[in-house]
Amino acid sequence: MICDEIRVRLDAWVDDELPPAEMAEFDAHVGQCANCRTLQERRLALRDVLARELPKFEAPQSLRRDLEEAAHRAASGSMRATRKPGAWWALAVAASLAIVATGSWQLATTRANGEMLTQTVLESHVRSLIGEHLTDVVSSDLHTVKPWFNGRLDFSPPVYDFAGRGYPLLGGRLEYVGERKVAALVYGRRKHVINVFLWPADAGMALGPQAATRHGYHLLHWNGADFTYWVVSDLGTTELQEFAGLLEDADSAAAAPATSQ
Amino acid sequence: MAQAPKLFAAANHRSPAFSRGRAVGSPDVRLATSTPTRFESLILPHVDDAYTLARYLMRDSHDAEDATQEAMLKALRHVDQCRTDNARPWLFAIIRNTCHSLLRRRGTTAAEVSFDETLHSHEGEAGQPDAILIRTADRESVHTALAALPLVYREVIVLRELQGLSYKEIAEVADVPIGTVMSRLGRARERLEFLLGGAAGKEGRG
Repeated sequence: MICDEIRVRLDAWVDDELPPAEMAEFDAHVGQCANCRTLQERRLALRDVLARELPKFEAPQSLRRDLEEAAHRAASGSMRATRKPGAWWALAVAASLAIVATGSWQLATTRANGEMLTQTVLESHVRSLIGEHLTDVVSSDLHTVKPWFNGRLDFSPPVYDFAGRGYPLLGGRLEYVGERKVAALVYGRRKHVINVFLWPADAGMALGPQAATRHGYHLLHWNGADFTYWVVSDLGTTELQEFAGLLEDADSAAAAPATSQ
Repeated sequence: MAQAPKLFAAANHRSPAFSRGRAVGSPDVRLATSTPTRFESLILPHVDDAYTLARYLMRDSHDAEDATQEAMLKALRHVDQCRTDNARPWLFAIIRNTCHSLLRRRGTTAAEVSFDETLHSHEGEAGQPDAILIRTADRESVHTALAALPLVYREVIVLRELQGLSYKEIAEVADVPIGTVMSRLGRARERLEFLLGGAAGKEGRG
């Protein structure tokens, strides 16, 4: 079991890119498992030989000189730019046109990508309701749901239980958004189902409106310090906002003492 | 049916969550006259690292010099977009993209991309690589093995092993999710281990 996990996360482990708890768990395991130790030893041997035999190069002096000159030319060039008013004008007009053009193009693609994410998330939510595939792991215990994601995702999603506030945890499952595997956590509110989709904030895909309503479902989206969130439900917007607030508060409470990286 | 506007106003309290990390377009140095200074202090010190990356990606010193020159001039023009806390990854991304487009223009990458997918299917053949053989490999075989890797695998190795970038930084440079960085590194290293550890053998296939 843990051997499987090590196979998947071998590189993150030797590169010290895993959370401390997992690092410790893996470190302890290789003490007793010859197979995993072999995998680790190979990686360490490779690291050593690469460090020894791959030299860094020095940039050619001529290149360095060219670049320094270019830097100085750029400096004096921009101060002399007003010399020819005609050309300067044309340049300014061209530049502002270009800025407007790229600006609106970027805005358009950003909107299109955000819209695509909104659709994907909404479809995942609807699919989860009509099939029986609402949850892969059914539990109201966050210590069951959170570890379930180990080895299934390349990140560990924060899982909370807000049963005391009327939003009990129901379970979790894997989802694909775009080409990325993401965590879907399922919370309840009376008879309503809330799907929470999340993935690391630095994985791209941070776009989308902060709030939207489609086909009677409400979507909320925000980028936290560590994770990008989408929350979807047919629940009323006031309650959904309250739920999103609970998530954010729990996240910032969890992030506050750690300040890792 | 779609009544999005209702919710927009209420979502404003979320802004504090955005405050950590990514400084948006840091407005510190914006004047044209100070831009080269910024270039000289922020970018130019990394010219050796930039050239090293280009050298391993292009596999040729002349091509590497051309690529570095082109990329550094691009960096000079856009230096106001560079954040002070990540100048190296920012510059590496430009170097990497320049190398990719130079190689693409020559049609060198097409063959490598299709090779990508077959790369992980060598397990089980001719036994397991040996850690001691790997550790004692000489410079020539290390270079041959690295040069044999497809571009996307070569670059993660160089970024990680030579330049010491974190997964997050590599993801930024290569413009892929962190999970992809991890799997590329895994495959690249497996391949190198097989080439250096005696398991892929000198059977001379291909």
